[in-house]
Amino acid sequence: MARVTLNLTVYALAAAALLYAGAASAGTLENMERERAILLETLLSGDIENHDRHSRIEVARTRLVDLERMVIRDETLIGQNRPAVRAAFDNYDLTFLIHASVEKNRTVADHWLSEMGMTTQSIMNARAGRR
Amino acid sequence: MVRAKTDMGNLVRLAGGAALIAVMLQAGAPALAQGAADWSPEVSERLMKLPGDHLRRAVDNDFARSAMAERMAALDEQVALKRATLGDLQRAAQQAGNPELRIELQHEFLNEKRNFLRLMEEKQELRRQRAEKKLALFEGLLDRMTRKRRATTPQQAAIVANQTAARERFESSMSKVDARLLQTAVTSESRYAAEYAKNVRAVEQLVAAINAHPMNQAPAIDGQTFTREEYLRQLVAQAQGQLAIVDQERMILGHMAKLVSLDALALAEGISERTGETEVAARAERNDELTSSIDLFTTR
Repeated sequence: MARVTLNLTVYALAAAALLYAGAASAGTLENMERERAILLETLLSGDIENHDRHSRIEVARTRLVDLERMVIRDETLIGQNRPAVRAAFDNYDLTFLIHASVEKNRTVADHWLSEMGMTTQSIMNARAGRR
Repeated sequence: MVRAKTDMGNLVRLAGGAALIAVMLQAGAPALAQGAADWSPEVSERLMKLPGDHLRRAVDNDFARSAMAERMAALDEQVALKRATLGDLQRAAQQAGNPELRIELQHEFLNEKRNFLRLMEEKQELRRQRAEKKLALFEGLLDRMTRKRRATTPQQAAIVANQTAARERFESSMSKVDARLLQTAVTSESRYAAEYAKNVRAVEQLVAAINAHPMNQAPAIDGQTFTREEYLRQLVAQAQGQLAIVDQERMILGHMAKLVSLDALALAEGISERTGETEVAARAERNDELTSSIDLFTTR
């Protein structure tokens, strides 16, 4: 009887340890960055019609909201000392693009350009030239 | 006459043996070799993860399965038997009318007292080892716990601080984002958002059940709950207390051994002078066996 009880305890603890150990990262940060890059490409591309651009941004924005939430909820990223994680949390406004833009009441494009240091004034003052 | 000489020789040897035990005990020398009766608890991750008071219970269970526990149980039986023998011999010596028989019984009584002391000495040595190993184990666990906590580098701490700030900022903008999305988005709520909300409710229920589970209560000693670190410190203090008690008992046992040697010398003198009974005074000791055996040592 004592052996059965002991075995049950060992199995229960082992199962709990396995379940907790199984909660591993699924590359949430990388997925979000890929989606964000696609959104920025859509924003900046000159080859897309305005109507098409708008609908693509809408879809990407909804997807990015979920991906941003997945990243912020991803506990495996806590305390991870690697360049991608450091950079992501050092630049909140660029990493969590949709949430930060809504927070600041700006469109995604305005927000991104502003965070990159490109204001309307600076663009208007820019001159075309050869590099 | 020849018999008396033999008794004298035995008694002098007995006094010498008892005196040696007394010296060893009072000097705190390691007593008997305990190679076979060992217990080797180890600091492990499994022990660190045990919930509530299960850590102490696991250590006690591990000890109960060890060779040391078996030897201690065997010693307990032997000590109980020896005490019964001592009581019988004491009564017989007191009731003996024949002086020769009385001396013979007193001699046997002293001999059994010495054997009793040897058993007690071995048992105390095992108790001391058990307390020392428990102390080392709990200190090891405490050390590992504090080392783990201190293992965060300044860079990691900075990242964690950044992440905490990001999460707070994120939480504050979440409802605003949801409201904005509802106004403009193609779909009202994404599949992820719906599934996540459903799962969060399930997780909350499970966490509540885990927190309320009787096997997951905070560690407690004497009904008082502690944090894990405080609990370990309490166990360390208890093990240190056990060690101090064993040291004190060792001193008591040393006094007992000294009394046996004095009794033996007194008996030897009594035989040589043929003056009948000699009174030798005495003192005593603790522990169930120790304290209840004092009468055996304070009276001849």
